[in-house]
Amino acid sequence: MPDKNAALVQGTLDMLILKTLALEPMHAHGIALRIEQISQGVFQVNPGSLFPAFKRLERAGWVDSDWRATKNNRRAKYYVLTASGSKQLKLETRDWKTQSVAIARILEA
Amino acid sequence: MNVFRHLMAGLKELVRSDKAESELTEELNTYLHEAAEEKVRAGATPEEALRSARLELGGMETVKHEVRAVGWEFAIEVFVHDVRYGVRMLRKSPLFTAVAVTTIAIGIGANTAMFSLVDAILLRPLPYPEPQCLIVVGTQQRGGSGMDLMGAADFLAWREHQRSFEQVAVLDLAGRSFALSGVGEPERIPGVGVSANFFSIFGVAPLKGRGFQPGEDRPGAPGVVVVSEQFWRDHLGSDPEVLNRTLTLDGKMHTIVGVMPAGFRFPSRRPVDVWAIRVLNPPDGRPPYGLVALGRIKPGVSLPQATAELNDIAAQVTAQYPNSPDLLGAMMPMKEWMVKDVSTALLVLLGAIALVLLIAVVNVANLLLARATVRQREVAVRMALGASRKRVVRQLLTESAVLSLLGGVVGLFLAYLAVQAFLAFGPGMPRLDEVGINSGVLLFTFVVCVGSGLLFGLAPALETSRPALSAALKDANRSSSSASAYRTHRALMVFEVALALLLMIGSGLLIRSFVRLTHVNPGVQVDHVITAAISLPGNKYSDPPQITQFWQQFLEKVQTLPGVKAAGVTMSLPPNLVAITNPFTVEGQGYDRNRQLQLAEEMTVSPDYFRSLGIPLMKGRFFSTSDRVERDKDPMIVIINQTMAKQYFGGKDPIGSRIQTGDPDPGAPWETIVGVVGDVKYSGLDSPPGPTLYVPYNEKGWVMWSREMYLAVHSSGNAPEIVPAIRNQLASMDSALPLTQIRTMDQLLDESLVQQRFRTLLVSGFAGLALLLSAIGIYALISYSVSQRTREIGVRIALGAQRSNVLGMVLREGLHLLALGLLLGLVGALLVTRVMRSLLYSTSAVDALSFIATTFTLIAVALLACYIPARRATKLDPMVALRYE
Repeated sequence: MPDKNAALVQGTLDMLILKTLALEPMHAHGIALRIEQISQGVFQVNPGSLFPAFKRLERAGWVDSDWRATKNNRRAKYYVLTASGSKQLKLETRDWKTQSVAIARILEA
Repeated sequence: MNVFRHLMAGLKELVRSDKAESELTEELNTYLHEAAEEKVRAGATPEEALRSARLELGGMETVKHEVRAVGWEFAIEVFVHDVRYGVRMLRKSPLFTAVAVTTIAIGIGANTAMFSLVDAILLRPLPYPEPQCLIVVGTQQRGGSGMDLMGAADFLAWREHQRSFEQVAVLDLAGRSFALSGVGEPERIPGVGVSANFFSIFGVAPLKGRGFQPGEDRPGAPGVVVVSEQFWRDHLGSDPEVLNRTLTLDGKMHTIVGVMPAGFRFPSRRPVDVWAIRVLNPPDGRPPYGLVALGRIKPGVSLPQATAELNDIAAQVTAQYPNSPDLLGAMMPMKEWMVKDVSTALLVLLGAIALVLLIAVVNVANLLLARATVRQREVAVRMALGASRKRVVRQLLTESAVLSLLGGVVGLFLAYLAVQAFLAFGPGMPRLDEVGINSGVLLFTFVVCVGSGLLFGLAPALETSRPALSAALKDANRSSSSASAYRTHRALMVFEVALALLLMIGSGLLIRSFVRLTHVNPGVQVDHVITAAISLPGNKYSDPPQITQFWQQFLEKVQTLPGVKAAGVTMSLPPNLVAITNPFTVEGQGYDRNRQLQLAEEMTVSPDYFRSLGIPLMKGRFFSTSDRVERDKDPMIVIINQTMAKQYFGGKDPIGSRIQTGDPDPGAPWETIVGVVGDVKYSGLDSPPGPTLYVPYNEKGWVMWSREMYLAVHSSGNAPEIVPAIRNQLASMDSALPLTQIRTMDQLLDESLVQQRFRTLLVSGFAGLALLLSAIGIYALISYSVSQRTREIGVRIALGAQRSNVLGMVLREGLHLLALGLLLGLVGALLVTRVMRSLLYSTSAVDALSFIATTFTLIAVALLACYIPARRATKLDPMVALRYE
């Protein structure tokens, strides 16, 4: 199975998760699915990266979690963006934009 | 805040790891099923969907592992796991574990014990408030070194004029004991005279009562005394009403005003039962010099500044006493003053035991290396399964840390025993009451444990985890994978031999010095001599005829006892009980004030003293009972020793020549030399020969000094048997007089060497241990090498090599390493032994015999250690050897 996010810059996955959660609280598979869908299949999130990322984000206090029922009526752990998480998301988004504009300029030069 | 959250979250998972685990499992299961359902929606059959979802997830356990690895607590989990694994591996090879733990335990135990001494005596600050301000003050001669005692004139002038100290107190070191009567048998108890502010200098609260108060040291003040806790317990039965009880000391009544706690002991080199007031009267001369001053230096004043001030004051005192020597001040921090005699010896001992530990560490490293070959397979399997080298090294190091901590725990127990044994049987040292295994010592032990664990674990761990995977797995080519292990092995061996030689040379030097000391001729008869101390209290024996009469009658009675050949009394006894030294001037020498003072040990003796100790007469005569010396106009007579005759009279016959004693003074009375006797050591067996002066005990200027005397009796039989009879005679003259410090001359000589004997024994023990350990190390290495080369040796023998060729081959290898190690050790010893110079008596720090003898001992033992495995190699059956493995 090709691991398309292997080349992702460290921390990018965290940003994508935060962004996904900014829309609504979501469980693991939902997040993975949404990232895949929105990126139109460019990023397929590997569970081996996804779950450590959740723990990292929880430890940092950027997301919180609670157990809720899914649409299929299964108990799942839902992740919720915290206030400091949305602050972090803004920060990372801004940094990312600055960087990607800069990188694009270099590549076009 | 962030750190706190990380900490709490980690702790929560550590404590409730199964809850976190089950939650994670549930979360992953949900993920799996959600993913499968998604695939079903996309058209897959449920079985296919689940299968492909599983594939996408990868291993459930792998994901869990990666999640666990996120938190800091994972490091602890890994550590705990490694410790468990290590313990399991160690339990699998109990013999190896036992040998390694024992080796480490001995090394760490001995180091811990020695460190607890060094810590208490040298490192820790004194147990008084602001101890760094406590300074001890004395004098020294111009051009001299060290610190001499002070006279009353100097102290009084300094106390009045100095501005560098907040307070200054004084301690009289000349008087060392008091005659105690009225409590049980009369006896002498150790004590010192001090000024009234002595206790307030230290700032230690008394256990009961108070210290002395200002004014209690004025002449004529009522007698007061402070006693030690031990004295209070042993002599006064821990009487709660002890305050205001009285003690009769030297015949004078003293009221007990305080009890000092057991932790307070000053001066600390000997026991002190009582502190009494020493009244300082304005003196008529500058000598005698028997005082030590102490004070708390003011903040911001440096020691050199304070010394300079004392120098100025001393110069004024010198001007006041024109015949006295030109003295300078001398100051040192109190701690330094207390420990200066033992610090070198203690540091050398600590260094020596540290070397033993290093050797032990090398041995354990060698053991681990030998195991490395065995464990390479196991490690290779783990690495093939994906463990990184870092991970494996970490695991192996954890294992050696477990080993060394085990050794450390056993070692702590050994250290405790060793310290108790030292306190019970070791020589007296300052601050021993502070010795113990405390938190500082524990920290030291822990650091040493971890340090040595890393030290002996690192090389073997790197060796074991060498990435030679396929070779190790196949185990086809053992010798190639262990070639570098063997190199490490040999380097360690060389190092070990060098360390052992270094230690052995150190102990060789001490032994040689000690043997020389025990062969020093004390100048007196050693067998059949018994000595004891008798002291006549000043209030009862207050005028000269009483004193003279007492000794005369007592000696007559003792001399007539059956079995007594001769009996005498003296102020000083060999080998190290000198009471006073006195300057002297030989007639015709002039009175040059810039000349260094010529000092002689001077003592009063009874006529038969020389016969009782067998001191030979060289020229002239002994004193005689018919000498008339008691009245003012009687001529003064002295007997000198051989060294003084040689140094000051050259080839001339000194009999009939005259000298003066005391500070150089043209007006001093002349004393005529009537005899020359053999040299006697009064200032220690290791002291260089110097002038000695003897005067009749009843001579007019001296008789008042003749109250505290040693009795010396030469008997025809077993000397101690005569003691009861002597005691009876003494009681018949004065029942309040104790007979104390009863020793044979043999015992006195023995006791005077207690420190030297102790350190010599200890370092020799360490060296013996080092020799044993390195012999074991060599033996193990050569055995290992032979076992590695079994096939090769078998081939050689099969091809016709002689047994002697094989023997030579194996021995040559050992000898090569030995030679390297010896060379390294000799160079090291040449560089290092100089630190011991002050501990050696008439032995050079590079004494050739010690170097050669110890080197050959080590060679002999090492050869034996090589020979045993080498011989085994020659006995190899080639057929068995070729089939080996």
